[in-house]
Amino acid sequence: MTTATHSTLFYDGPRQYADEVGGVLRDALLRGHRGLVMAPARRVDALRSALGRDADEVTFVEDTVAYAPQWNVYRVLLDFAAKAKGVRTCAIAEQTLSARTPAEVLDYQRLEAAINLVFADHDVDLLCPYDAGTLPSHLLDIGRHTHDALRTGGAMSQNAGYDEPMAMLAGLSAVVAAPRDSITVDCSSPADVSTARRMVRDLGADLRLDPDVVADMALAVTEVLTNALLHGGPPAMLHIYESGPTWVCHVQDSGRDALDPLVGLLPPAMPSDHGYGLWLARQLCSAVDVGTDDSGTHVRLHIRTTAA
Amino acid sequence: MTVGTEYEVASLDALEPGTHLCAFHRSLGQLSRIASTFIGHGLAAGDRVLYVTSDEHAEAVLRAMPGHVHAGDAISAGQLLVRSFSEAYGTRRPDGLGAVAVGFRAAAAQSRKDGFRGLRVAAQVDNLAPLLGSPEEVLTWERMSTALQREIGVSSVCLYSHDHRDELLPVLQARAAVTHRIHVDIEDLTFADVGSLARIRAVAASLPENGALILRRVPDAIRRTLSLSGLHHERLRLEP
Repeated sequence: MTTATHSTLFYDGPRQYADEVGGVLRDALLRGHRGLVMAPARRVDALRSALGRDADEVTFVEDTVAYAPQWNVYRVLLDFAAKAKGVRTCAIAEQTLSARTPAEVLDYQRLEAAINLVFADHDVDLLCPYDAGTLPSHLLDIGRHTHDALRTGGAMSQNAGYDEPMAMLAGLSAVVAAPRDSITVDCSSPADVSTARRMVRDLGADLRLDPDVVADMALAVTEVLTNALLHGGPPAMLHIYESGPTWVCHVQDSGRDALDPLVGLLPPAMPSDHGYGLWLARQLCSAVDVGTDDSGTHVRLHIRTTAA
Repeated sequence: MTVGTEYEVASLDALEPGTHLCAFHRSLGQLSRIASTFIGHGLAAGDRVLYVTSDEHAEAVLRAMPGHVHAGDAISAGQLLVRSFSEAYGTRRPDGLGAVAVGFRAAAAQSRKDGFRGLRVAAQVDNLAPLLGSPEEVLTWERMSTALQREIGVSSVCLYSHDHRDELLPVLQARAAVTHRIHVDIEDLTFADVGSLARIRAVAASLPENGALILRRVPDAIRRTLSLSGLHHERLRLEP
């Protein structure tokens, strides 16, 4: 039985970043572990310099790839670990949080909290650095509440601010009702799924959104709506509206059984003809909200209305 | 969408004798293009061609025939036979598929007796399930036909309307039961949900080690869904 670690580092400036993170990676390599860095380009450059020749032993993936969209980071980590089963992975994970929309930041909180559960039994030491010198406090709070260990000056200590992840995920799944001026269609019949898909494409084109991004949204809506028809309760409704910097396709059905917040965070372990819906939606959209209350189960799929 | 068999390329204009294809069409125009290509090349090769269709569709297809093919002459000479579904398959459920196979063999023998090199069949088969009694019987027929046609050297294309697209997967499964290399041209497939792709992958996985399900002219959207879902398999190949 293995146990993952999930620690954070609040650094102030590139030098501290390179010293601390470079040290973690060097120690891991000395122990025979494999190194993976998912970080902004400037941090990758800093680490390459700090590691020198040791950098050749580390895999670097820029955040514009690893976090596009955010939940892809789980997949990058899984794929990396799968290439050398039985060898422990030391992963560094950081993205440019200041560029995220509010919906994406909320989803990032879920991502950070869920790591503690999803990867608990994996051979991985995951360090998430936060730029304390530039990030606002509400973003630093994500780091404070989602990591059970804190790295300071080369030493690890327990993080007193750590919140129990399942409770945190429950708190982050509050339902947001569709606004009154949203476009709403009843999609309770399987034949309505293709109509919904066409509608998403047409409305996305009206908004002059990137056709590839709209096609991704249409696929995500198909998968989530199919889930609602198969597993939820009638009627299944699709609401479409803009919400700040994101365009939202919101699938609602009347099922009131709360979904496990960990459903769809990883792909099915074995190829199957079901179980991909929420996983795929998270690979296609910039943020995905899932929640249940007396009004039913709600899945809100977000894409940006403007380029990142 | 066109489903080919174990030959290298499922192309309507270069078929090996004994090829058993099926094609899904979205419109009368698309049906006409598929059928006229198949029929035109069969006539040019000196084969007899049996086209099973409705009067309305026959007129459209004959109009769409390539310029160098004289359909009227071919009909007069008995090289091109246009028959309605009921004329070709009957109006009552056959006692058994064996009886249908006997008719198929007799038609192939008669073609050679009449001086033609062989027999090709283009058939709109949307009424086959009601006639045979169930989609399962159609699949049994498909499986039997694949083996029978290979044996007697008769090529055919089964023409399904897009309304019957849900039958693509059962048709694939039926083919996989009797042939180990299947070509599927999916250029016109605009969308497939991940569940459908998972089932296509399952067909590929069911093939023996030397088999393959080869998807040809795969639209970008389908490639993307396959990539994101991670539904790869060594026997599921994408070309080109």
